[in-house]
This record gives sequence, structure tokens and C-alpha cells, in this order.
Amino acid sequence: MSEAILVSGGHMIDPANGRDEKASVLIIGGKIAAVGHVTEADARNHGAKGKVYKLDARGLLVLPGLVDLRAHMGEPGRDSEETIAHGAEVAVHGGFTTVACMPDTEPAIDNVAAALFVRRQSEQAGFAEVVPVCALTKGREGKELAEIGQLVEAGAVAFSDEQRAENAPAAILRGMHYSAMFDRAVIEFAQDPELAGGAMNAGYECTLAGLPGIPAVAEELAVSRACMFARETGCHYHAAKVSTKNAVRALKRAKKLKVRVTAEVAVHNLMFTDEVVRARYDTNFKVFPPFRTPDDLKWLKRGLQEGVIDCLVSAHRPVPPHEKEWEFGRAPFGAVGLETALAAAWMILVGGDVLSPSEVVAKLTINPARVLRLDSRKGSLTPGHDADVCLFDPGAKWTVTPESLFSHAKNSPFLGTDLKGRVKATIARGRLFEF
Amino acid sequence: MTDAAARVWTRKDLLGLEELSSHEILHLLDTARGFQEISTRSIKKAPALRGKVVLNLFFEPSTRTKASFSLAAQRLSADLVDVVKEASSAVKGESLVDTGRNLEAMGVDIVVIRHQQAGAPALLARNLDACVINAGDGTHEHPTQGLLDIFTMREKFGDLRGKKIALVGDITHSRVARSNIWGLQKLGAEVGLIGPKTLVPSAFKELGVAIHYHLDEVIDHYDVFNILRIQTERQQKGMFPSVREYHYLYGIDQTRVSRMKPGVLIMHPGPINRGVEISQEVADGENSVILRQVTNGLAVRMAALVLTQSAKEVNVG
Repeated sequence: MSEAILVSGGHMIDPANGRDEKASVLIIGGKIAAVGHVTEADARNHGAKGKVYKLDARGLLVLPGLVDLRAHMGEPGRDSEETIAHGAEVAVHGGFTTVACMPDTEPAIDNVAAALFVRRQSEQAGFAEVVPVCALTKGREGKELAEIGQLVEAGAVAFSDEQRAENAPAAILRGMHYSAMFDRAVIEFAQDPELAGGAMNAGYECTLAGLPGIPAVAEELAVSRACMFARETGCHYHAAKVSTKNAVRALKRAKKLKVRVTAEVAVHNLMFTDEVVRARYDTNFKVFPPFRTPDDLKWLKRGLQEGVIDCLVSAHRPVPPHEKEWEFGRAPFGAVGLETALAAAWMILVGGDVLSPSEVVAKLTINPARVLRLDSRKGSLTPGHDADVCLFDPGAKWTVTPESLFSHAKNSPFLGTDLKGRVKATIARGRLFEF
Repeated sequence: MTDAAARVWTRKDLLGLEELSSHEILHLLDTARGFQEISTRSIKKAPALRGKVVLNLFFEPSTRTKASFSLAAQRLSADLVDVVKEASSAVKGESLVDTGRNLEAMGVDIVVIRHQQAGAPALLARNLDACVINAGDGTHEHPTQGLLDIFTMREKFGDLRGKKIALVGDITHSRVARSNIWGLQKLGAEVGLIGPKTLVPSAFKELGVAIHYHLDEVIDHYDVFNILRIQTERQQKGMFPSVREYHYLYGIDQTRVSRMKPGVLIMHPGPINRGVEISQEVADGENSVILRQVTNGLAVRMAALVLTQSAKEVNVG
């Protein structure tokens, strides 16, 4: 690709390079060529041939392409829910240029062929780059370790067994020992499976709704245990989808003790509480971990402020509409999130004076890129890195409706919600998408 | 049905007592009192629902609730269809919403639904124009049972303000308990929950109810003991150690009744485990109104059928 794109006139926020200022970015051949005060004439000096496409970013924020640590694609096995190609295209609509897909597929992404399949589907589609998080154990069964060394060479960005049906502490401990050799994070699910078998957050709302509860202590237990394993093994433990006060406190203690631990929160878990669940039994509010209490939300925000929680994730999980028409207790968990994550995070965190714009961007770009060991080419606007850019209009108001979402799956808890902020264009490895 | 009465009740669905006002509850109970008289006639029929179709859609086994709704519908001259669904086939096959739409396409006016899943009637109500009456959803609500319990208490005490009502047993898994709590509190009664800590969620305290773990400490405090069925499968899941220990701590026998207030009302929504949560002699004793509850259930369900159907017609009109 030899086309050159010059994005100018916008306000750049690039936390990794300390930029929060008016700046331009020049893209040539799928890579970032120059950043700062760049003119069309400079493009020639950087080797641009032919016409330079000029993108007017006045009134927009120019951000590094967003990096999602957690999305669930249907492939392999459940491509009726979502293919990698479609998921990757949905991602660019939300400003994401890198998406880590989780291995809870059928079969699990636990071998080299499956990992290469994910990368091939991603390359052929040419939207956001989809990178595989591979299973820690074969078949995600919590018994034999997957071939972690070979998977790293095949492009595994991290390892995780995702939500397992049964507890497998010995396998997790072994897996963390083993993967520590390869400098990859183990993303351990933050819920004890035996305790977390309910349908919504355990407590007052759940008691009145008459639904089985998912107690907060199931999360505290799993997070605390994984922190101990990280301390013992030296492995980088990344806490998946933290949602409760006491998990934040457990992570804070571990970080204070210099245990190698990072954490994420799903954006929708910052927005909703369990009250909305009981109000309507709306299955679009059925997510895992479940929406918690106002007090938990306060602690999650505090965790973000104090740096205990490093990353914001979409936790994108498409569910076919007929399955969301099931009864609440029976319907599958999950919500789509790639298209609402940035706007919702901006509204809740910047609008709510929880974080600065730069902090929000960091938690959606460079921080997840570091967890995935992709920061040498992703997550910042650095010359030589992949040309991944998100152009965001923080003032644009929109109402989330099924029609407003590009995704085939519409299972969003934000349906009917007014959001402020919308992605106007995304550049994914030099390819421009304008909306 | 007069226009004025129809305006008090504007709901096409009866999903729970939580969303009802005390005004609506009393209106339904008053309507039920009017229907009680029909049962004493030699020809036990009224024309209120002539030409209407009532569908019993039961995903869970039920004897008395289904029979009670069926009789109620027939006494109101409605046509009645019974559908008993295997919940497991519903998972594999069509969704509840699809089932509902299909049945509605056949011209059903009122769907009476019982389902293992909390919120299933609400899901159906959102998607259908037909009236939906909740006949018990999971461990959420069982509004007509709550209403008939309250109806029976009011027969004895009249105004329930300040009356002390105890619910005894497995509160966690009881939809009857939840409907009782909502309804009784709205009518100004004082509600207490009695049972083992594993089966009485402390979250109920936030509703302003009292929670007791030791029955004998409060045995003379309450005017009504509404005793809930204890399911032995809870014991298998480790919620309490044994039926024997449960009976020892919470079983209502004649000795305990003799220490209760004189004139105490003993109630049970059925089906009864005699000798477990209640002894034979208490169930059949002079304080027991257990069969009266069943009789009253019919009138309450007639009222529910008529009020929801009239409200729908007014709303459409």
C-alpha cells in the first residue's frame, strides 16, 4: 500500500507519547510516518508517492486506534453468531483497530491451526486486526496444558481458559508457571465457577426478582487466588472483567505488594446496576459478570482513578435475537459493546469527572496493547507503528437503537440510551473508514 | 362492570403484587367478594367472559392453581384451553415469545401462565396484546395466591393495618412469600419472616420486614402464621441438615399452637407436607383456614380474569 493519508486539524491525545495537543499525523503504506506539525510537503519528504489524501479532523479528537482486550467472535464454530470478518468490521465502527478474541469457541482456540485460522480470517477481512487469546489448557478443560510455546510463535497474545465450568486451581497454577517462560499474560476469569452459577448479582434486587444470584464473593475469591498464583509464579496475571468492590481491593493489595497484575473492567459494568435487571427482566441486561450495585460502581471508578484497573474492554459478545427472547434465567449471557464502548466510557468517565480524557484513552489503547505485548506496533501514534487511528467527535449526540448499530447482533444494554460522542472515522493499518 | 370501576383497574396484566397500589389490591379483593356469591348459587355461572378464550399455559406441574383458574374461567362462561408444556422442549424448540404469539394468533384473550423462570410472564406480557396473568413464575411472584391469602386474612380480621403476619419456612425459594410480603405491607400489616438463615435472605430486611431465626422466641407475637411448604430437594442441596431438624426448629404442631395468640390464624398455600412443616392436627384444627384459602382462591381468580380483560377492552376502546 503506497497511499498516503494526512490527518490534520484535530486535537491529538496520545498518552504513550505524552501528547494532548493539536497535531497532525501522516500515514504512508500502512504505517505511521510522522506526527506533529506535518504538512503535505512533508509527505513527499517521507516518501509518499501519488496523491496525499487529506483528512480534515477539525473539531475531532485524534486518538490511537483503540485496542480491545476482550471480544468474543463466533468463529470457529458459532459463525451464525458472528464471523471474525463481521466482528472486525463492527470493531472499526467503534474506533477499534485491534481486537483480542477469546478462545471460548467451538472448538477452543487451543492449537496452532486454530490460532492461525483466526489470523487468516482477520487478514482476509482487512478491518480491525483480530489477534487470538489462546486457551491455557487443551479444550479449556483445566487439565492438560495447551502447547503454549508453539502458540506464542503462532501469534497468541495472551492465554486464558475464559469462563470454565469447573474449578481448576492446579491447572491455572501450572499454566501460570509455564507461560511465565514466554512472557505472556494469563487472563484468568475473575469468578469462581462453583459459586457464580446464578443469573444476576446476588443481593437485594436479586432476592426480590426471584432469580438465582451470583455473589460478589465469587469474584473476590477468584481474583484473590489468582493474585496469589501470580505472586508464586512471577507470571503476569490479568484480571478479566472485574465488577466488584472487594475484587478492586484485592487487586489494590496485590499491586501494592508489586505482584505482576493488571485488570480490566467492561464498560457496560460501569454504566448499569442490578436495579435495571429487576425492573424489566430484559435479557439485554444479562451479562457476566452481572451488573452490580451502586457501591460497586463507585469502587470500580475509584479503581480506575487509582490505576488499579488498567484497561477498559468492550466484552463484546453477540447473541442471536431468538436466544435473547428466552426467559431471563435461561437466556445466554452477553452484550455487544464494540460500537458503544468509547462513547459510553467517555460519557461516564470524562463526563463524570472520574478520569481525564488522556487517562480514558490510555485505558483503551496503550495499556491493553502492553497487556497483549503489542505495544511495539499498537496503542500509540508513534512513527513506524501500525497506522491505527480513531477520529472521535466527543460532542456528537446519538441514541443507541438497533438501526444505529452496524453489528448484525443487537443485544446491547445501551438500546434506548442517549450517548454523547461518536467515532467519525477509523484508520486500520492505513485503511480508511469514514462514517 | 361500570366505567368507574374499570378506571380503578387499568392493567391488562396481573404480573405481581409489587407493582399494585393498595387501592388496586383492595379493588380486586372487593371484586372477588362479589364473585363469592356465585359459588353459592345452584347454577354457578356468570356471563362476564362469554365468548372469551382463556388459556392455561403451564410449564410446571400444578393441581390446585390450574384447577382453580379453570373453574374460575368456566364460571365466567369463558372458553378454556389447557396447554401443558415440557419446559425442556421449550428450550430446544420455540421460544416462549413465539409460543405466545402462536397462541394469540388463535384468538386467545387471556393467558394464565405458570413458569419455572422468574420474569417469564413479564416477557410474555410485553410481547402480547392478550392479558397475561401470572400463576407463579420461578421464585418471583404468585400474585393470585398472595391475594387469596390476604382475602382470607381479611375475612377474619377486616382491616389488616397493624396486624402481625408471619411467613414461616423457605422464603428464599418462595414466590408465595414475595407476593405476601408486597401485598401485606401495602395494606399496612407488619410482616415477619421465620426460618433457617440459609432460607431467609437478609436482603428482605431492606423492605422493612422482621427476620427471625428462632420460631419459639416470637411464637406469641403474630396474629397469622402462613406456613410455606418445605421442599425436601432443598435439604439435598444442603440448605438445611435434615427434615427432622427442620421439624424440630420450625414445625408447627399443637404444642406450638397452644403457645400462640388465641384465635391465631394458621394458613398454608399447599400442597402440605404433613408432619414436616405442619402437623396433621394443626392442619385440620380449629385455627386452620387452609381449605377456606382454596375456596377463596376461586373468587380471587375470577376477579383477576374479569378485571384484566375489562381493562384491556377499555384500553383498546
